[in-house]
Amino acid sequence: MQKLNRFVLQIPLWLYFIVSIYPLFWMISYSLKNNEEIFVTNPFGLPTHFRFENYVTAWSQFNIPRYFLNSFIVSTISTAVIIILALMFAFAVARMVWRFRGAMRTYMIVGMFMPLQVIMVPLAILVRDFHLTNTYGALIIPYVAIGLPFSTMVFYGYMKSIPREVEEAACMDGANIFRLFIQVIVPMVMPAIATVAIFQYLNNWNEFTLAYILITDEMMKTLPLGLLFFQGTYSTDWGGMGAVMTMASLPMVILYLFFSEQVERAMTVGSAVKG
Amino acid sequence: MNKYLGNKLAITLFLLPALLVYSVILIYPVLQTGFRSFYDWDGLSEATFTGLANYKELFADPLLTTSLRNGLIFAAVLAFFQIGLGTILALVCADERIRGRKLLKTAYFIPVVLSVTVVCQLWIAVYDPTNGLINRLFDILHIPYQQNWLTSPTHSIIAIAFVNAWQFMGYQFALLYAGVKSIPEQYFEAATIDGCSKWQAHRHVTLPLMRETYKFCFTIAITSGLGAFVQMLIMTSGGPGTSNYTLTYMIYRYAFMESEYGYACAVSVLLVAISLLATVIINKVFDRKEV
Repeated sequence: MQKLNRFVLQIPLWLYFIVSIYPLFWMISYSLKNNEEIFVTNPFGLPTHFRFENYVTAWSQFNIPRYFLNSFIVSTISTAVIIILALMFAFAVARMVWRFRGAMRTYMIVGMFMPLQVIMVPLAILVRDFHLTNTYGALIIPYVAIGLPFSTMVFYGYMKSIPREVEEAACMDGANIFRLFIQVIVPMVMPAIATVAIFQYLNNWNEFTLAYILITDEMMKTLPLGLLFFQGTYSTDWGGMGAVMTMASLPMVILYLFFSEQVERAMTVGSAVKG
Repeated sequence: MNKYLGNKLAITLFLLPALLVYSVILIYPVLQTGFRSFYDWDGLSEATFTGLANYKELFADPLLTTSLRNGLIFAAVLAFFQIGLGTILALVCADERIRGRKLLKTAYFIPVVLSVTVVCQLWIAVYDPTNGLINRLFDILHIPYQQNWLTSPTHSIIAIAFVNAWQFMGYQFALLYAGVKSIPEQYFEAATIDGCSKWQAHRHVTLPLMRETYKFCFTIAITSGLGAFVQMLIMTSGGPGTSNYTLTYMIYRYAFMESEYGYACAVSVLLVAISLLATVIINKVFDRKEV
């Protein structure tokens, strides 16, 4: 009886499993089919014949490699800069002794509650006035600014928990403050760095709204932006569309499958920091 | 020691880069938005101060009603679907004896890491009137409910909101799951020993203890519903007509298509005010019933 009960209870879990996964399975399936199979003979199941040529066509005919490169450059640089700047800021606020550090921390937290929509319009003008439109900088600089509050707070939390003795020892040994930071503190917060890095990389890779407003040049488009192009021109070639979408999704899905614990932790840390 | 850690030059060097980027790119535009909302400004020429004219115009704008209504519907769909269903899934999934929990959690979370463009285009295909997954499925099951999911002026907003709800379900689930897991096992056991059924125990023990989690989940769902934009942009371009407009869509249109930057800033201010109000209300509601 209890066993049956547990089985019945599990049904919603597996039903939602299908709701969550089947559309993606369907997408991957049709990325390997031709139109006849998608529309007429076999809309739901696995392809009878794996048409990898859809992928070859998609990769070689369009700007896909370029979009990948742009996304890679923008996400990598933004993430690296966020981490360096946030570590430095967090160190000064969490470990060093000066008067306004409490106020400084509050000032940084404010940014976490700012919806993107509030800065959208002036930011577009700012980017234009700095002559950054259609450059990598147009995305990297805003992504860094937006990523800072969250990252700083995560590092702040970790650094606060380091015992005072660490600094005392470093001071005794005659290490200057910069060596203390780079050789002692930063290695101690490595787990936090990993969490923040994955979280920010994911965010930057997938960011859409700002990229849509700030980038118009075909050669500078990131993946989420570039994919829009196919909607208009290629909407009849479902196989090709599916191939493009699958390729664009793979890097982040793989990243998640490898680091699922960290990704989920990063998300829940976010709730703790904000709440 | 205090001298060592109070090195003024070092503090300045550590703070300055982050402070500069953050202030110029985030704080300055926020202030600009507030300031410019009182101006008539096309983004290029000299701005003229017009006082509350933008706001007066905004409250008479027929798009505002549509946008507010759509924002509320969007928020309601997110709250109902993600938090309602998410709660049930999290409670069931928290049971240690259930097999495949890791697989389930992973499957729920995968859509979260996809790009919103991919998700929207996938769902354009799912909603496709002739070849889409849903209408084909109805066809096979002989359910006469096939329709143009994305072209109805009244109902497409729900279809669009569902796409967002589906994508970020895993995120809310992860929060709720962590919330359930953070409650000590003994509380729940004590309640069941006292004669509560499993569901009563959840209703009276687990859920009240998750107040902070719910506060956060509702804040996320409601504010992202009110500020929704990308889904309608990609899936219907805000249409048919202007029927799928939201506040963010208004900002986008007025600023970047009609060059009415001042007016767009006024819409931004309104959006922030409404989001803040919603956050305050959510906090009040969840703080009211202290255990």
